Amino acid sequence: MMPKKLWWVIIFASLAINVVMLQWTVEAYYGLEYEHVFTYTVVALVSVAVAFFAYLGWRKAEYGK
Amino acid sequence: MPDEKKLLRNQKDTNDDMINLVDNLNREDDLKYNRRSFLKTAVGATVALGLATVPFSIKAMMDKGQEDPLRLKIGELADLPKGEALNFNYPTDSEPAILVHTKDGKLKAYNNKCTHLQCPVFYESQQDVLLCPCHQGFFSVDNGHPVAGPPQRELPLIEVEVVDGAIYAIGRKIRHDA
Repeated sequence: MMPKKLWWVIIFASLAINVVMLQWTVEAYYGLEYEHVFTYTVVALVSVAVAFFAYLGWRKAEYGK
Repeated sequence: MPDEKKLLRNQKDTNDDMINLVDNLNREDDLKYNRRSFLKTAVGATVALGLATVPFSIKAMMDKGQEDPLRLKIGELADLPKGEALNFNYPTDSEPAILVHTKDGKLKAYNNKCTHLQCPVFYESQQDVLLCPCHQGFFSVDNGHPVAGPPQRELPLIEVEVVDGAIYAIGRKIRHDA
């Protein structure tokens, strides 16, 4: 089983990625660079999925036993 | 539980050393604001930020088909000598633009709202730069990128072509390289 700290690291890395992705998405949208908008949204959604599964992993480690 | 069976610190009005150690803690806050809640909030924030990008993609998808560049006649080349500039609107009437006939004979056009605080940008022919007088922002006339002052972003570039002596705006790039 992964150590709990690693789940924390994954979740906060995802948070940092999504802060950047939202900023880039807004900039790309107003710059009319629509291909970039889609790319950043996909990255952000993948990051959301990673954070969510990391949360489930952390929850299992934290509340298990 | 009878008093005599309790530990000393749990008895009423006791003077035991181990009493009142937690009186200064707000238990409700302790239950609400703890390590676990902090991590859950971080996960929530991650999800919220990620989902906040989705409306931009949806809007971009809806706008994508309507991107036909407008072809608009700006004026006659003969009416615009070198070192002069001409104001026009492109692609809509509410978006002011400037066409510059540079001293070395090139035609350069940009939307001329300053990318700092939207003041109009003028062509300064003596220094051959685009100048925003509000906060002394300078843009290169060759590529529209900021060269001095507060602006951080380039002016939107309007592509132009000359056909039979007439100058046409044929498209626009909001982001473009130097």
